[in-house]
Parts: sequence; structure tokens; C-alpha cells
Amino acid sequence: MADSVVMGSGSLNSGSRSGSSKTSTSPTENYQLARRRTLQVVVSSLLTECGFESAEKAAVETLTEMMQSYITEVGRCAKATCEHTARSTPTLSDVVITLVEMGFNVDTLPVYAKRSQRMVITAPPITNAPVIPKALMAGQKRTHPTYIPSHFPEFPDPHTYIKTPTFREPVSDYQVVREKAASQRRDVERALTRFMAKTGETQSLFKDDISAFPLIAAKPSSIPYLSALLPSELELQTLEETDSSEQDDQTDTENNPSSISQDDHSADKENVVLPPGGVVPAGKANEENMIDNPYLRPVKKPKVRRKK
Amino acid sequence: MNRKKDKGFESPRPYKLTHQVVCINNINFQRKSVIGYVELTIFPTVMNLNRIKLNSKQCRIYRVRVNDLEAPFIYNDPTLEVCHHESKQRNLNYFSSAYTAAVSAVDPDAGNGELSIKVPSELWKQGDEMKVMKVYIEFSLDQPKGGLHFVVPDVEGSMAERAAHVFSFGNQNSTRFWFPCVDSYSELCTWKLEFTVDASMVAVSCGDLVETIYTHDMRKKTFHYMLPIPTAAPNISLAVGPFEILVDPYMHEVTHFCLPQLLPLLKHTMSYLHEIFEFYEEILTCRYPYSCFKTVFVDEAYVQVSSYASMSIFSTNLLHSGMIIDQTPVTRRCLAQALAQQFFGCFISRMSWSDEWVLKGISGYIYGLYLKKTFGVNEYRHWIKEELDKIVEYELKMGGVLLHPTFSGGKEKDNPTPHLHFSIRHPHTLSWEYYKMFQCKAHLVMRLIENRISMEFMLQVFNKLLSLASTASSQKYQSHMWSQMLVSTSGFLKSISNVSGKDIGPLIKQWVDQSGVVKFFGSFAFNRKRNVLELEIRQDYTSSGTQKYVGPIKVTVQELDGSFNHTLQIEENSLKHDIPCHSKSRRNKKKKIPLMNGEEVDMDLSAMDVDSPLLWIRIDPDMSILRKVEFEQADFMWQYQLRFERDVVAQEEAISALEIFPTPASRLALTDILEQDQCFYKVRIQACFCLAKIANSMMSTWTGPPAMKSLFTRMFCCKSCPNIVKTNNFINFQSYFLQKTMPVAMALLRDVQNLCPKEVLNFILDLIKYNDNRKNKFSDNYYRAELIDALTNSLTPAISINNEVRTVDNLNTDVRLILEEITRFLNMEKLLPSYCNTITVSCLRAIRMLQKNGHIPSDPSLFKSYAQYGHFVDVRIAALEAVIDYTRVDRSSSELQWLLDLVQNDPVHYIRHEILSMLAKNPPFTKAADSLLCNEALVDQLWKLMNSGTCHDWRLRCDAVNLYNTLFGLTRPSCLPLPELGLVLNLKEKKAVLNPTIKSEQGPGGPEVTTTSTLEEEHVVMEPAMSGVAMAPQGLKRKAETPLGSSPEPGQVMQEEPSAKASIKSKFPTQEEEDIDMDTVHDSQAFIYHHLNMLERPSTPGKEPSSVEQAMLSMPGTPMPTLSKESTSSKHGDHHHHHHHHHHEHKKKKKKHKHKHKHKHKHESKDKDKDRDSHAFSNSPASGRSIRSPSLSD
Repeated sequence: MADSVVMGSGSLNSGSRSGSSKTSTSPTENYQLARRRTLQVVVSSLLTECGFESAEKAAVETLTEMMQSYITEVGRCAKATCEHTARSTPTLSDVVITLVEMGFNVDTLPVYAKRSQRMVITAPPITNAPVIPKALMAGQKRTHPTYIPSHFPEFPDPHTYIKTPTFREPVSDYQVVREKAASQRRDVERALTRFMAKTGETQSLFKDDISAFPLIAAKPSSIPYLSALLPSELELQTLEETDSSEQDDQTDTENNPSSISQDDHSADKENVVLPPGGVVPAGKANEENMIDNPYLRPVKKPKVRRKK
Repeated sequence: MNRKKDKGFESPRPYKLTHQVVCINNINFQRKSVIGYVELTIFPTVMNLNRIKLNSKQCRIYRVRVNDLEAPFIYNDPTLEVCHHESKQRNLNYFSSAYTAAVSAVDPDAGNGELSIKVPSELWKQGDEMKVMKVYIEFSLDQPKGGLHFVVPDVEGSMAERAAHVFSFGNQNSTRFWFPCVDSYSELCTWKLEFTVDASMVAVSCGDLVETIYTHDMRKKTFHYMLPIPTAAPNISLAVGPFEILVDPYMHEVTHFCLPQLLPLLKHTMSYLHEIFEFYEEILTCRYPYSCFKTVFVDEAYVQVSSYASMSIFSTNLLHSGMIIDQTPVTRRCLAQALAQQFFGCFISRMSWSDEWVLKGISGYIYGLYLKKTFGVNEYRHWIKEELDKIVEYELKMGGVLLHPTFSGGKEKDNPTPHLHFSIRHPHTLSWEYYKMFQCKAHLVMRLIENRISMEFMLQVFNKLLSLASTASSQKYQSHMWSQMLVSTSGFLKSISNVSGKDIGPLIKQWVDQSGVVKFFGSFAFNRKRNVLELEIRQDYTSSGTQKYVGPIKVTVQELDGSFNHTLQIEENSLKHDIPCHSKSRRNKKKKIPLMNGEEVDMDLSAMDVDSPLLWIRIDPDMSILRKVEFEQADFMWQYQLRFERDVVAQEEAISALEIFPTPASRLALTDILEQDQCFYKVRIQACFCLAKIANSMMSTWTGPPAMKSLFTRMFCCKSCPNIVKTNNFINFQSYFLQKTMPVAMALLRDVQNLCPKEVLNFILDLIKYNDNRKNKFSDNYYRAELIDALTNSLTPAISINNEVRTVDNLNTDVRLILEEITRFLNMEKLLPSYCNTITVSCLRAIRMLQKNGHIPSDPSLFKSYAQYGHFVDVRIAALEAVIDYTRVDRSSSELQWLLDLVQNDPVHYIRHEILSMLAKNPPFTKAADSLLCNEALVDQLWKLMNSGTCHDWRLRCDAVNLYNTLFGLTRPSCLPLPELGLVLNLKEKKAVLNPTIKSEQGPGGPEVTTTSTLEEEHVVMEPAMSGVAMAPQGLKRKAETPLGSSPEPGQVMQEEPSAKASIKSKFPTQEEEDIDMDTVHDSQAFIYHHLNMLERPSTPGKEPSSVEQAMLSMPGTPMPTLSKESTSSKHGDHHHHHHHHHHEHKKKKKKHKHKHKHKHKHESKDKDKDRDSHAFSNSPASGRSIRSPSLSD
């Protein structure tokens, strides 16, 4: 039962897929289509039983869908119940519990099954059960060791759990490393510049073949000295790295500049943001007092105000 | 000029300036305009001061008040348009003298100025009390083209966010461009400076910042500066911008300013400034004279360094981070220069232009001492040699550089530099190149003085000058006290003799009063019998730029037994000098050889001549003469000198000498030097290039891998894989420089087919490929740039098959590889720009080289796009250089036009200047060769450029003059159409026609003292034109072609007017040899008209002459006696009469004009006449005195 339900759900999916993409039907799809057709027949007969003369196709489809969902749900729950009790195949009681769970009165079932006007439906046409394509086998599957019962699932393919040592000789050869780094960098640079050249304006050195040796067009900038003088981020990064490695000989000089940087930070503030009071950071108060530079002094207010 | 006067300074002005207020109320960045006023406090030094002349250019003056009384003023600037447009003269001689005249006419050192203010009569009538006068001038500047430079980047945001800034600049005394002043280095006064700027900006100026006050609306603030130390107006400057402020951590009175975002760079760059301060203060034993010092870094700077009183303005491109190696010494040098000029140049100013050499000399000299201390003796000696070579090369090529010109008589004949196409009378008429060489020579001469009197005395002299000046500076204004702050040649020499007690007269005479360098040729023979070295030293003192040297010369002889100095006396007739040798030629047993420095070394003596004990000989090893020495000695001697002489100068000399000895021994010597890390790195670098040259000469016999390859591999490549360079580590700068240079030199190697060897090219490509800077503390941008330069050097001309168009398909495979690298580098620059875009610069050069060698199609459009405004300045220069090269090679007139348009329109002054100087260095054509480019339109355009288009920038104008000279020469450009009617007027007889061009640069006037008659004055006015049109060579040719067999002998003509001639001769004994090449009647008319016109101008000094005088007056003006006709079209039999006729016509015409002009002025105002008399456009200093002349005293 569960089996067929599972199949049904499968047919649903594949049915919609095949509908949209009109491909030639595979055996699997045939099988599922047949199941679905049977379900439709069931729905139709039930409708007839209820006294319908005819039904819209969409309505039938909807009902089929509902039925299929119901059966699927029953199958799924039954399976879950069965597995919960450490079995692998659902029994009748599993199904019953499921039905009860889903709010179905099981007692009415035998009566319903024996109703008089029950229509007999022909068995679905026998189609070949779909062949599950063989999963790729890599290596020999391990058999269970003796202490594992045979009903336990088989081992998966060895490649899924066995660690394969993939390292070749670790590339410690200096030459190769350098070679690799160099060509990698070159490739990246080339790809990047080509990309930039392709996506932006270019200049060419040749008139006959503009795409050969494309040069990214020169664009004037409004403040050209900034990019030319300031180190690029990449360089700054390397600088940091090298600096951290050479911190020992840097510490001496580092002490002084740090105080400078503090100083002129406050200098900036005073002169650019201009707090009239010239607030001095408390920690640096001593040093600040030492520096008497006219450019650090606060800006005076105009005389009229001072009189106030 | 002031040499002979031992007394204090005599002001050329009838008043003394004591204090000046400059107040700039408003600076509008949007409109690029400035509004402000100045107030000058002056003490009249004469009775009845009725006229005040000040300098002012391009300022719009709204009102002038003297002691609160409105004063009329006249503004006249003859330098705006040097020759008047109606003149058809296109002759550089003519221009140069007219230009000099114009500059003289406004020269503050002669008491002149553009602005002439009439003192209200109420004031000058009571003038005998010598009351203080306050001259108040309101002015504005709108879009100034000179003096102030606005940088306003075109981005979003407020002016502060846009990093907009403005700063003052100029060549020499150019302060008049931004406020009215006495723009002289010799007129000192105290200053009060006020600048009201936007609240987000900072105004940096000279002196102490007293206070900063908000305006009432709180949106602006006013910076108040006081400069209590008497300072000349040219030393006043201003910079306003949203600067970031850094107080020097070591010296709190020193403040640094840079543009937004550059603060980290500023911190690094300025971290060693205090060392320079300490150094100068220590050697001069004198504190820095000002109470504070400011450095400002600005964009689009005019020059890299300019020093003003208590502040210096630098180019922002000098800033660098700690990762940059190459820029560091350059920037340090600039800072040191700026600071040296603070002492000598700003604090101590000069009396006159002819004393400039003392200031430049001293500041350059102490800067040299700083170099020696900071960079070491090797670097210092290398620098001295470099400077010496530079000045020698320049003088030999262009003619002498005169440090202390004297213009005694002011007559044409006294022109001290007749070989130059410009006048050296004024700083503003000098070619920039000449001025650079002038500075170079000045400091070299100071070094010569040091050699003579010892450094100790030298520093004492400086100290004396400084302490006198600082005593004077602290005085309140007293008569002549402040002149202690002015240095003069005589004062300086007097201090030297007082301090040292030595007579350096001959030295000064040789190098300061005289131009030229000495050119020695030396050779020797060893006389075995007498054991004597026979040295022969010859001199070339006849070629241009040379002079004869008489005096001592030091010769160092390295013998087997040691090094010996000999002082020989160079005398008039003695060429040969016998020097006894100390050692016997017999080879001693294995013994160490003592060197000059006491070191004893082992030498392999097998290369030596068995008979001679001489290892090497050096002439003037201490460079104590400004000279070039060409010395002949055997190759092995040069090799010994290279290996064992410890002086870098000797090593460098040996290397350049070895270039002509391509032998395995030379190769070995050079390789050994290259490998020796004890050796000075610049010597090793030079050895690289020499080795490349030698290798090319030895091509057929060369064995082993290409030169330097194995060396490079050994030094810089991995041990395990020799084809891969080590990852960069530039911690050792010497090897860094070597690593950079060796590939560049190697790329110069050529194989038998004259191609760069494949091995070398691949080697360089591998260096690029494996370059890895990730672990390096320093940036590798210069290194990568030089690798590209190496690729460029490896290029050789493409094999061209009948001028086919260059396409991608027929690209040579090697070139394809090179091009790929260049493309990648250039594109990467857009994503990750390198410091100062060095890589772009190298790539552009490489592309131009590819084009030039015919590998890729020649096309300037790429370069033109990189030359646009908005690229980094170095990139622009490189691109422009390529365009200029293209212009020359492809003779493209449209590109030339494009360049000239840029000269007129580019916002950056430095770029304009560079275009013109690069064009002059790599001219599209020269006067020697014909070119399609050379046409009348171009002549006119260039003429216009130098005549009026560059009036806002002295330097640019001189550049234009230089270019004009390069393209067309001194005389009339050959491409101008042949004149219909030419006449040569000659004041001297006979041979004057044959007399070539140059004798007439000199401007008129000068210190000539004209006394009574206006005649002489008039004459002076006329002179420039006459002298300007000296005989053109083509004039000669034309003359020869004259169909008339009997061309008139000048002498014959003379005879027709003996009386006229006699009268002239008697009046002007020195006035001789004046040729005029009048091309057309029109020209001659224009010429005369021009002069009349000059007279007509209100500023012309023309006391109304009596009519008798006037008649005489015109005579010198129209050169008369010799008239020779040159027109090929002439049909007249009697030339003389014809010309004669003309002549008279001119005379009449002139007279007529004169009258007319007189007339005209009568109409204008009754004041006019007086105005005309007294001020401005006087070509002679007589005008300076004219104030006292009776006609003015009313």
C-alpha cells in the first residue's frame, strides 16, 4: 500500500513535468500515468455513485489531486508509525492508527466497503514497474560485519565515507611554487584587465584590429594626485603584513608618531570642525599644552560678540 | 654694479618703504577672483615727492589714496605687448632688445613701475617735513593668469570638499601680479597681512599668525599675520585651501600643510625636516631667523620648491609614503634647498640682480654641505661632478654663463653676453635653462672659494652676514640700517677678505666676472732616462663658452711607491710640465702599493708597462677649476684607476674613458666593480651601461653569457633555480638600485644582427613574470617601471617591407610578447595605480618607441588622450613628450598646432612651460633645415605668443623666445616671403654688411647716465630696434644675387652725407656697427612708426624738445649713412639716391608723427604732459632721474 502511494506521488510529479515538456514517455512515466488514470477512474466512479451525471474536467482533476494527497499522507504516516516502532514494513495496525490520527472513523470502513452500489473497477493495466537506474557503483560495497544484522541498510558506496589521501607530493618545490604564483597572478591580471577592457571604453594601438591589445581608455580624473600619491589598498595591505612581521624594529619609532597622530587629529578637529572652546582630549592634555601653535589655537569670535 | 661702491645701498626710489599692509577681503574660488587693498607706508627721501611708482600687473585698481586724499594714477605696462602689432618685424634680435627695454621700463630696481601715482599737490607742497605718507590702493584680480594660481577640481561638493586651493607663484620678483607693491628684492619693509577666507579654509602666509577671527556672520574667518622682519615684496606669498594641518612633532613652531587626504604622507615626508633645521643652524651657528616656518604642499605647483619669508610652497607630488624609495632622497633634497633659501634668499635678500649669484651660491653651497652630511661624501662628490659636467656641457654648447654681469656704460658694445639670444640684464629676460645653469655655477664657485679660504672661514663669513642681518632686522626703521640685510657682491667679497685675510680677487675675476669654463687636453710621456713624467696640458680657449686659465693646477700621480700630488703652474706659454717620479720602474718584489688614502693594496701589475712606474694620473682631482679635462692615458691605467682609486669621481672618469677600450681587461675591471658592494652604487650603475657598450663593441669576440646576466643571476636570483628572481626585498638600497638598473643596461646589448639577444629579452620577460613584491616592505613601482624601460631599450627598428601598414598580423613575435606585457601593465595601472603613475609613464614611452621603430602604426591619439588635463602631471609630460616626438618625426602640423594651443590654454603653468622647453629640446625643425612646418602662420603665431600671449608668465615668455630661436634663429625666419624691397642701413661703414647677427642683444639704456639733452634719451629708445635687426645671413645672399653689378659701396654712400655722419659720430662715439635689415618699405615704416608710437605713449619720457633738437633727434633714430639696397626687383640705377630719398622720407614722417603726438596729448589733459614726462616707459634710467628734472618741478 505504502508502495503504491509513494508511486502515486511520484507519478504526480513526473506527470506534471511530462505535461509541460512533451518529451517521449519513458517506462517510468508510463507506469505513473497508468496509476493516475486509475485514480481518475476511481474518482469518476465515486462521483457516479453519488449521482453526478457529468463533471468538469477541472473538478475531476482537483478531486483526483485531493485523493492522491490523502492516500499519500496515509502512506507516509503509516510508514512513519511503523518506523517509530522499529519496523521496516507497515502493518495494518499502522494504517489504522494513521487513519485514526487523521480523524477518520475506522469503524465505518467495513460498512462502506460492503455497500451495495459499489462499482467494480478494473484493475489498472499491468505495466512494467519502472527500472530504477543503477546508481553509480564506485568500488566494492562493503558487506556487513557479523555483528550488524543483515536487515540493516547496506553500506553506501565506499567513496562516500572512505578518506582517500589525495595529496600528491606536496608542491614544495620552490620553482614550481613561484611558477604557479606567477602564472596565476598573470592570469588573474589578464582576465581582469580583459574584462575591464571589454566592459568599458578602450583605445587601440592598431587600426586594423581594434580588439588586439585593447587598452582601457585613459580617463582624466578631477583630482589626479590622490590616486597617484596615495598607496593603493593592496599596497597598504602588504605594508601591514610586513609591518606586523617587523614590529620589533618598528616599535621605537611607533611611539612617537602615535602621539603625533593624536595631536593632529585634535588639530584637525579644531581647525576644520572648529569647536570654539578648543576641547582638548583629557588624556593628551599635557602634551597639548606643550604645543603652542597658532594654527591650533581656537578661532576667536568677532569683537561684537566678545563684548557681550 | 655695486662692486665698486662700498657704501651702503642706494635706493633708486625717491622714498623709502617701511611698512606695507596687504588685506585680501574676499577670495572667490568659483569666479577665481580676489578683492583687497594694500597700504604702503613710505618716507619720502626727497623734497617735493610728487610721484610714486609702484609695481602692479593685471590688478584692476579701483582707487588710490595718499594720506586719505584721492590720487590720480596711471597704469602702463609695456611688457603686455612687447612689439606693437602693426610691426611686421619678425626678428628675434629686435624682439629681445625691445623686451629688455620693456622690462627695464618697469624695473623696480631702476625705480620704475607700471603704476604711477601722482601725489596730491596738497601733500607735496609741504613735503619738506619728510612726513610719512600712506598710500592706499584698492584692487581686485579677476581670473589671474599669473601670480596667483587657483586649483578648483571639478567635482561635487563645497570648495573645501573639492580641495580647491589657491597659492601665489612666480619667477623671481612676481609679487606685482597679485598685489601692488615695490616688487624689488632690495626694498625691505615690515608687513601686516590679512586674509579673509571661508571658515573651512586656512590661509597660510608669511610671518606669525597673530590671531584668527570669525567674521560677524561666522561663515568666514580672517587670518592676521605680522611679519616684523623687514622683507622684500617678492618674498611674500600666500596659500589658501582646506589644508590639513600637521604641527611638527619636533619643532612646534613649524607647521606643515597639505591637501585633504594626504596627511599620512605629509607625516612621513616631514619626519626628518628637523634634522635639516638642526644641520643648518649648527653650521651657520645661527638660529633660524624667523619665529616660525610653514610648509605648504599644493597641486599644480609652478616649480617644485619655492621659498618665501618664513614659508615654502612645494609641489604636492613631493609627498610620499614610507614605501617609496626613489622619491625619498629627491624630496629631502627639495626640503633642504627650500630651507637653505630661507636663510639666503628670503631672510638675506640681494641688492641688485647682479648680486643674485651670491644668494644662489651660498644657499646652493650650504645645501651641498647638507648633502654631504646626509648622503655621504661619495654622493656629494658625485653630485659636484654631475653639476660640473652639466655647467661645462651647457657653456660649451650655448656659450658662457656670467654670474656677475656689469652693465657699466649701458652701450651696446658692453653687452657681456653677446652669444645669447636673450638679455641677462633682468631675471625676467633669462632663459630658464640659463638660470638653472646660473644657479649651478654659483654654488660651484662658492665651493671654489671654500677651497681657497677653507670651510671654516667660509662659514664664518656666512655667520657674519647673518648676524649683521639679524641685528639690522630687529631695528626699527632707520635709514640704511635695513640694507644690512641685503647682500651685494662687494659686501660679500669684503667679508671674505676681512674674515680670511686672503685675496680671492683673481678667482672672482675668473669665475664671477667672466663667463666660460676651461677646457683642458692632457697627455703624457714617461721619460725613462730621467725618470720623469712629461705632462702636456693644452687648453682650448677659443671656442665659445671657454676661457683661458692661468694659475695653479693640481695633478695627482699614482706610482708604484705611492700617490703623489704635484701643483703645476699653468702659464701663458708653457704646455709641458716635467714631474719627477719617485719610484723606479724596476718591479719591486711583491709589495703592497700605498694609495692616496693610506690604504695599501695588492695589485696585479702584469698589465703595466714594464718600463714605467706610473699607475694612473689625474688632473685637477679636486675639481677646483670649472673645467673639462680630456686626458689620454693607456687603457690599463684607466683600469687601475677604476679598480684602485677610491675617489668616486676618479672611478666615474675611468668608466667613461673605458668606453673606447673594448677589451677583455676592461670588461673584467668593470665586472669586478659591479660585483664589489663596497663600491658606491652610482659608480656601479654607470659601470653597467659602460659594460653594455663595451660588450656591443666586442660582439664578435664576446664569450660566455650576455654581459651582466650571470652577475645578475648570482646577485638577485634564487640559488636553486637561477632563472627565477628572488622575491623582492629592497631593504638594501644599493642593491635595489643595481637590481633596477642592470636589466635596463642589459637590454642595450645587441647581437650580430643588431638585435637584442633573444636570451636577454627572455630574461627580462622572466623578471617581469616572476616579479613578486608580496613580502616586500617597499613599493616596487620604480622597479617595474624600469623593467618596462628595459623592454623599451631592447627594441630595434622593425624590418619594413616597402612601407606596408603595420598590422597585428605581421607583428614580430618578440614584439608581440613585449606589447602584451605593456598592455597588461598599462591596464593594471587603471585598476591599481602605482605611485606617481611611474608605470604608465614607462608604458607610454615604450609605446612611442614601438611606434618609432615601426612595429606598430605611428599614431599620436593615445598620447593626446593621456596628455589631457586631469591626468597626473608626470603622465602628461610623458605623453606630451611622445606627441612632440611624433610631431618631429611625422612633421605633423596639426599636432604642432595642438601643442601650441595647449601652451596657450592649459590650466597648469608647469605643463605649458614643459611643452615649450621640450619643443625646444626636440624641435620639429630647426633653423638649419627646411621644413614644411616652417611657414608664415607659425612664425606669426609664435611671435604673437612671445610678444603678447605670455605676458603673465616671465618664464613662459622666455621659453617661447627660446623656441623661436631654436626654430628660426636670431634673424628673420627664412620661411617668410622674400621682401620686395629690402634695405640695409648701416651706421658704420663698409664691412658692416658682412657683419653677422649678434652684437646687439643688449637692451638700451641701463645705467647710462643721460644728462641734458633729450637727444640721447631718444637715441636710447631707438636703439633696440636698430640693434635688433642686425644683418641676416639671407640678406647677404640676397645681396650677392642682386642683378645690379655695382652694388653700392657703403663707403660711397657715406660720402654723400659726411656731415651727418660726423655729427653722429661725435655725439655717439660708441654707437657703431648698427645694421638694419629692412625687409620691406612697410617694415621700415612700421619700425619707425613703432618707435614713434613708443614715444607717443603717455609714459614715454619725452621732455618736449625744441624743434631744433628734434631735427637732430631723428637722426640716430633713422640710421642713415650706409644704405645698401638689396631688392632684386629694383630697377633704379642710382641706388643711393633712391635710398637717400627714403631716408629723408622717414625722417619727415617721423617728425610728423612727433608733432602729431604732441598735439594729441595736448588735447587730453593738462596733466598729461607731466605724466608723460615723468613715469613709466622710459628705456633709460634717466627717467628715474627725470623726477628731479626741471620740467617736472613745476
